[in-house]
Amino acid sequence: MEPMACQWTDAPHSMGTTIMAVEYNGGVILGADSRTTTGVYVANRASDKITELTDNVYLCRSGSAADSQVVSDYVRYFLNQHTILLGRLATVKTASTLVKELSYQNKSFLETGLIVAGWDKYEGGSVYGIPLGGTLLRLPFATGGSGSSYLYGFLDQAWKSNMTQEEAEALVVKSISLAIARDGASGGVVRTVTINEEGVQRKFYAGDKLPLFHEEIAPRPTPIHAN
Amino acid sequence: METHGVMKVTCEHPLQQILNAWARSVSTGQSFKKNPKPDSISEPVEMARYDRAITVFSPDGHLFQVEYALEAVRKGNAAVGVRGTDTIVLGVEKKSTAKLQDARTVRKILKLDEHVSLAFAGLTADARVLVNRARIECQSHRLTVEDPVTVEYITRFIAGLQQKYTQSGGVRPFGISTLIVGFDPYTGVPALYQTDPSGTFSAWKANATGRNSNSVREFLEKNYTETSGAETVKLAVRALLEVVESGGKNIEIAVMTKNEGLRLLDEAEVEEIVAGIEAEKAAVEAAKKGPPRDQ
Repeated sequence: MEPMACQWTDAPHSMGTTIMAVEYNGGVILGADSRTTTGVYVANRASDKITELTDNVYLCRSGSAADSQVVSDYVRYFLNQHTILLGRLATVKTASTLVKELSYQNKSFLETGLIVAGWDKYEGGSVYGIPLGGTLLRLPFATGGSGSSYLYGFLDQAWKSNMTQEEAEALVVKSISLAIARDGASGGVVRTVTINEEGVQRKFYAGDKLPLFHEEIAPRPTPIHAN
Repeated sequence: METHGVMKVTCEHPLQQILNAWARSVSTGQSFKKNPKPDSISEPVEMARYDRAITVFSPDGHLFQVEYALEAVRKGNAAVGVRGTDTIVLGVEKKSTAKLQDARTVRKILKLDEHVSLAFAGLTADARVLVNRARIECQSHRLTVEDPVTVEYITRFIAGLQQKYTQSGGVRPFGISTLIVGFDPYTGVPALYQTDPSGTFSAWKANATGRNSNSVREFLEKNYTETSGAETVKLAVRALLEVVESGGKNIEIAVMTKNEGLRLLDEAEVEEIVAGIEAEKAAVEAAKKGPPRDQ
């Protein structure tokens, strides 16, 4: 009898994902869900899709997990050298351009959508979207991943310029939660990273801390059975 | 993504080779043979102009090019390195800068990675090339093995590179000796290494290179003790002051700690330390002379 080829375990890791980054008055906020899948199996339900490029610039990864990891590794490799040679922090623009170079020049091999966001003293907070083909576009806010489809209409209405940190953070958490509710490939917890002049702050919102929407059932702790 | 320039090598037509050999014989006055033997046994007949070895053994076993490179180092500005228990100090002699020159761009203490730094004595341009290669290697190491380099690893790499240039065609050795300092990324143990143009390296508690390095090393041998923090800085400055004109303008000091990495002291700080050392020296002199005698 031949062993059954299991699509679950053999499929490459993909991050269905919802990722986003928003510019606010003083910095940027990056947000992401935490579901990594191989086929329909959730390989990691608490993954960290927001990766550090430098002290002041972070990257949101979506699409192929392997491709996005390799791109971020290479960008860190170049940016470290750049920082040591320059003697000061790299700008968000430089980091984004490096990511774009890798994405565009290797477009036939890669399948990853990325969002670069950070803070530098020249531009303040900036967000750059780098979707599949390797376009580089600076935006006031950017979304990506399969879950982003469900956010276009919502953000058209809910986003406004010059938000405070609290407003921006609430918007990010609400957006990711909405996407998780509708997109099967997004789920788990919500992670946010806030970057401003003072530095970087990571936050973690467990499933039960997320806002609930129409028809959603509140998560209950699993009862412990005495056996 | 990076491409290396490939040197074009032209292969000469045999008739051209004969013509060149004849032309050479005309200019040198030596007789010309139709089928000349190649100059050295290892070299094929004039295939490429760039594979002739420059660093070769003398009859009594010396590599003169390497020894001449060490001469170049001996003429370079003094550099000193001192290893403490939690602090490592690098100091270099700063030649007085021209009035119009921007002193900040003349750097003799360089960062290789967040936890490793280098000071050198000798040809500045050679150092720049070597440091660039080392910086790339530091990041390449991080990328492939997901770990920062150890001080020993990067020293071995730099020394290996220096050795390669003593055994390759068409190149000369690097005219620098380096002092490489840093902390082990996991154990936090401080380290100081020295490399030279021959490609040898070894670890030291304290060392000096460049101009008058023997005097500085002698001083260190006499006065070295296990120190930490400001004491280590003072020892390095005292050692450098043995051969350098006194004053913050002529000395550049960099201090490395595990948590803060490399920090270049600014001129005022150096002046303060120098002033402190001078005051101590004066006090010792006064004490030697004894209390003033009664009239």
